[in-house]
Amino acid sequence: MKIKKQGKKLAILVSVILTLFWLFPYVYVICCSFKPGAEVIAIPPSFFPKTFSVENFTGLFDRMDVVSYLINSLVTALGSTVIAVALGSLAAYAIQRSGAKLSIFLVVMILCLKMIPTSSIVVPIYEVICDMGLYDTRIALIIVYAAINMPFVMWTMLSFYEGVPTTLDEAAYMDGASSIDTFCKVIFPICMPGVATAFIFTLFLAWNDFLVSLLLTSVNAKTFTVGLAGFLSAYNLDLGPMCAGAFLFSFPVMVLSVAAQKYIVRGMTAGAVKG
Amino acid sequence: MRLISKKTLLLFFLPGAVFMGIFLVYPIFKMVIDSFYQIGITGNRTFIGFENYMKAFTASGCLKQLKNTLLYIVIAVSIETVMGFLAALLFELDYKGSKLIRSLMMTPLMIAPLVAGLIWKLMLSSSFGIVNELLVRIGILSSANDILWLADPKWSLLACCIADIWLTTPYMMMMILAGLQGLDSGLIEAARIDGANTIQEIFYIKLPGIKPVLLTALSVRIVDAAKTFDIIWAMTEGGPNSSSETISILIYKNLVKYNNTGYASAMAVLFIIVLVAFTLIFMQSLWNPKKKD
Repeated sequence: MKIKKQGKKLAILVSVILTLFWLFPYVYVICCSFKPGAEVIAIPPSFFPKTFSVENFTGLFDRMDVVSYLINSLVTALGSTVIAVALGSLAAYAIQRSGAKLSIFLVVMILCLKMIPTSSIVVPIYEVICDMGLYDTRIALIIVYAAINMPFVMWTMLSFYEGVPTTLDEAAYMDGASSIDTFCKVIFPICMPGVATAFIFTLFLAWNDFLVSLLLTSVNAKTFTVGLAGFLSAYNLDLGPMCAGAFLFSFPVMVLSVAAQKYIVRGMTAGAVKG
Repeated sequence: MRLISKKTLLLFFLPGAVFMGIFLVYPIFKMVIDSFYQIGITGNRTFIGFENYMKAFTASGCLKQLKNTLLYIVIAVSIETVMGFLAALLFELDYKGSKLIRSLMMTPLMIAPLVAGLIWKLMLSSSFGIVNELLVRIGILSSANDILWLADPKWSLLACCIADIWLTTPYMMMMILAGLQGLDSGLIEAARIDGANTIQEIFYIKLPGIKPVLLTALSVRIVDAAKTFDIIWAMTEGGPNSSSETISILIYKNLVKYNNTGYASAMAVLFIIVLVAFTLIFMQSLWNPKKKD
């Protein structure tokens, strides 16, 4: 028994060390954002700031339009997520509840669409957006994100609907509710945890996107990731502000992902774990 | 009783289908058509049949990138799986504060791949990167310039893998942890009473028990790793000398930088066929486990 206890203590120690190791890049970036610009690229580098400074943040605000890029990221992420979740969960409901052969075909099609690498279809998407006259607008990003993330929403929601007994639908049907009423008033409210999961995921996917925004925007609708990537081509002197930007951009994500961890875990394991 | 008629199914599917049709299905059709043409910068098109496809398989084609992509998948996914499994075993234990530790470990889950790439680019920089500095202090390297992570063709792909491993090991860990927690605890207790030690417990009970979860996670990760773009773009843009160039990067470069729309389309079509085939075969065997035995 004593060995077991010591083994557990050792395991705890290892897991704490592992966690610290994993947090190291963050902590380093946070430290770097509060160093003076020159200290970020000092040789040899130091971990902790020798002098505390917000120089990098002011540098960041000088070099890019932080506020409007953040607003663009937020608006496009939220807008596209609302569309993708609303339409995706409706379609997934019909597919899951219908016994038609067509629905199997649709499930397979959704799965295939989920596999498509964005990097290979962005150029045709770019052409479509230009033809619509929507280049460099937030609407363009909203509809493209909504489309790209919709297969993911459908796939997630399919596994949630499986867990809802069809007797509920039948009861609503007996009471004379139409299909759309059954969905809106009975099934959708019951599936709220599932909807929340899909929502948070899609929100992060759109917020974190880089490639689509890189091609579809230039000035007005530019998102934060594209702005941040602008520091890549620049000189080393800009690495300080880049850290500050990475910190600003990722901090809300980290806070939200810890707060909503329950949903994230559920979303990632949906369909994989029966429980 | 049929709750949803065929008409309702189509009606409910239609609004979403419009979006996916315009921005997912149409681009694919266009790509398939483009792949048979040679397209000049001015947009003049000449039909050349399968020539673009042939070109992809020649030495100057995408064989090097294919090798890089496969290497990237094998290195990143295998390390992620092993580390994720070990971490899951550790994090399965319950103790005071275990939830907090678990939460902290999972924070990279939602970080933008681009940001992960940027962070690691800074950390792996040869002169002012903290990683080499630490390696020097530990005594593994004699000088910080011994390993040029991003500028040396030998290391560049591995550097990208490191960022990927940091970003997605928590995903693997979480999937495996969910699988472990779903195991029948009676089974483990029974094994313990029969005198199984920890190692036996892991290999004979836990590992077989989480097989379905593990396979699903693996299939998701393999496809995602194959598609990786942001991380590599942020860290090396495929260089130096295309040593870290994967298929995704090559397709993108041909489309956007070199204006080789026809050739890029042919490669993209092949790429998508491989990914879809892989997924369907994987899912098939997962859904019908009887067939496999």
